[in-house]
Amino acid sequence: MNRRGFFWGALAVATGAAAGAWTRVAKATARLRPPGAKPGRAFDAACIRCFRCAEVCPPKAIRFDTSYSLNASDLPYLDAREQACVVCMKCTQACPTGALTPLPLDLGVVQKAVRMGTPVLDRKSCIPWRGEGVCRLCYYVCPYPDSAVALVGPQQAPVFDAKACIGCGLCEEACPRIAHAIHIVPLEEEKKA
Amino acid sequence: MASKSPSASAAAARARLSTADLRLQRWLRYQRVRRATLALSVLWVLGLPLWHLARDLFESAGLAAGSRWAVLAALSARPPNPPLLGAPWTVSLFGLELLDPTAFVSLLAARAVDWHVVLGALPLLVLVPFLGRFFCGWLCPYLPVLAASNGLRALLARAGLRLPDLKLPRWTQYAVLAGLLSATAVAQTQLIPLVYPPSLIAREAYRAVFQGSLGGGAVFILGAFLFDTFGSRAGFCRSLCPGGATFALLSVRSPVKVRREPAACTDCTLCDVVCNLGQQPMTDKLDMGCERCGKCVSVCPTDALRIEIGKPVTLAPEAVTPGAAR
Repeated sequence: MNRRGFFWGALAVATGAAAGAWTRVAKATARLRPPGAKPGRAFDAACIRCFRCAEVCPPKAIRFDTSYSLNASDLPYLDAREQACVVCMKCTQACPTGALTPLPLDLGVVQKAVRMGTPVLDRKSCIPWRGEGVCRLCYYVCPYPDSAVALVGPQQAPVFDAKACIGCGLCEEACPRIAHAIHIVPLEEEKKA
Repeated sequence: MASKSPSASAAAARARLSTADLRLQRWLRYQRVRRATLALSVLWVLGLPLWHLARDLFESAGLAAGSRWAVLAALSARPPNPPLLGAPWTVSLFGLELLDPTAFVSLLAARAVDWHVVLGALPLLVLVPFLGRFFCGWLCPYLPVLAASNGLRALLARAGLRLPDLKLPRWTQYAVLAGLLSATAVAQTQLIPLVYPPSLIAREAYRAVFQGSLGGGAVFILGAFLFDTFGSRAGFCRSLCPGGATFALLSVRSPVKVRREPAACTDCTLCDVVCNLGQQPMTDKLDMGCERCGKCVSVCPTDALRIEIGKPVTLAPEAVTPGAAR
């Protein structure tokens, strides 16, 4: 390579580094990542946006960010209210780079390894907590009933245990539209707060 | 005596080739084979999401019909799981993992390599140094876009419009790759998939089918098309694509090369004109940018060119200057 090529190459490397640094400073919206995702930035670094996780996802819960931000563009995410993760762990086995850690379909193993987000219950909107009746939908759909969510009191109101919850979002999806009381807060957002 | 006339010496040159060589030549001559491979690749990229969609539709049709028998019928009639997963950029083909060397390099830059990645990248890291940039000429789903751009260029030229053909220097591609890799290393996020057509096109196809929307990738491909059409013929592939740069760098010592029989060559320039990537077979000015598409071999009217598997030769600049040959 001649001297001019070398100069432009060095300039490209420097520009790239500057752009990279800027990307790091820029904010990105936190999203629910597929199960088994490496934490935070390590996931962005290892995910090559190949969409194999979405391909094998039976309910097609995994979607792709269409934002133009370099931080978030084309990263897979879940919108739990639209379609929650069904905890089949197929995406973790399809991932070619280990951005998703391969996990077996074993609820015990999954509960130890997966933490997509934390459930936040708005008691002001939750039907039993408002005293408007018994609902229990979140309890019925939860893969870990009596561990991640327990029912308390005469109205059988839900109480979540963030440590036992994997954040699959099935409860958020099941929560009646008139209430929308449950929200799974993505892990990154929770750390910032 | 016979060696005086050019056609006779061409015949003599051809006689020196073994029959296996000739068979290979005839096979390569058929651009049909290359087009078929390319068509399969495009069909796969665009057809895979449709396959998945068909599966889903069969399932939901059964569920919508309600009865247990309808569900069973729909599940048994639906297409099976496709034998391959993923875009050309990473493939699981009957369980065999293949990872694009570009993805490997990019993961190296992001320091996110684990044994999965090494194992997946290995087959192509072995094959590419041998076959060179063949992916670009035989499988890349951007090629139909390039063909459309070249077609439009020809059309506009016939209409009397003079389109610029910017020839960016050779090192531009490597500078782009270096810049992207340094940005990847600092940003700790994968950036090459956002500008690498094989990855982009497949993902956009998937997203169009399942999300009904297109992302930045579609805009990027449109930009590349406009650049190729109104700025520089095949300019994206030749001097901007980071994947092409990786393949080229890996194939510095590739033994599969276009060779010219000077005795049979009539200096008609057809091969130089047909090449998208600015290679010049007529003057033996070929470098690692050659995508082994064989178009020059096909177009040669005197059979002076052939693709040859020889001992690895690094084409140093002094080796390809016409002066040195004399």
